[in-house]
Amino acid sequence: MTDREDIDQRLARLAGATHTLGPSLGFSARVMQAIDAEAVPGFWENAWFSSRRLLPVAAIAAALAVGWAVQVDRSVDDELATSYAAVGFE
Amino acid sequence: MDTLEKAVDRVLAGDRAAFQQIVDTTSQKLVRLGARIMGNRADAEDVVQEAYVKAYRALTAGDFDRRSSTSTWLYRIVVNGAIDAKRSRSRRHETTDEVQIEPGWDGAAFAEARVALSELDEWLAALPPDQRAALVLQSMEGLNNTEIAQVMGVSEGAVEQRLVRARAALRSRREQP
Repeated sequence: MTDREDIDQRLARLAGATHTLGPSLGFSARVMQAIDAEAVPGFWENAWFSSRRLLPVAAIAAALAVGWAVQVDRSVDDELATSYAAVGFE
Repeated sequence: MDTLEKAVDRVLAGDRAAFQQIVDTTSQKLVRLGARIMGNRADAEDVVQEAYVKAYRALTAGDFDRRSSTSTWLYRIVVNGAIDAKRSRSRRHETTDEVQIEPGWDGAAFAEARVALSELDEWLAALPPDQRAALVLQSMEGLNNTEIAQVMGVSEGAVEQRLVRARAALRSRREQP
């Protein structure tokens, strides 16, 4: 820098000289490829997203299964109690 | 609403091709900004590419709140990325003034730009990345302090402080024998 050249003048000169700067050929395509590569999910990611959709259904099914099991257990107990009572009478 | 904002609307509506339009519209300015901060075009392209990927991710995840314009938002992602890249590069003790061979430079205008970029990089190499970015945004990109504060995510006072320090460092370097 010459003594007379001010910092801002030098920056302005360099701004002018670098004004033509731009991306190299094919930059835009490379960016879109990078985005596509990120957008394609892997196997585990796919499995996770699919299973996430099924999660509420699976939770309801589990709750129904527990309810059914409790009900069956109770009716078995009732049946057993009835049959023990019948044996007692005999 | 300008073309850029309309393209963002389309990306938000699920049109991936509209993002290509955003890239085509903004890449020259962003790569030029990145090169002025990073000191060479190859590193600038890496930073800007990463910035676009982050921007796309944010748009599709609904994380862009549109409190600032799309242009300011993209500037912010690039500037932050460039500052981070500069910091990690200095942690690795890499020299910034080494001549980098970049493919794709052709023509007299590009040759002049490369020489100027090399001069700029050598001159600003001693500045911390945040001071360098503030100086580039003000004196080369033509942003005012309010806009720089928005882009850098700091107060206007902090911007002013960075600019004063950057100029003082450059002045003291010039005065050294």
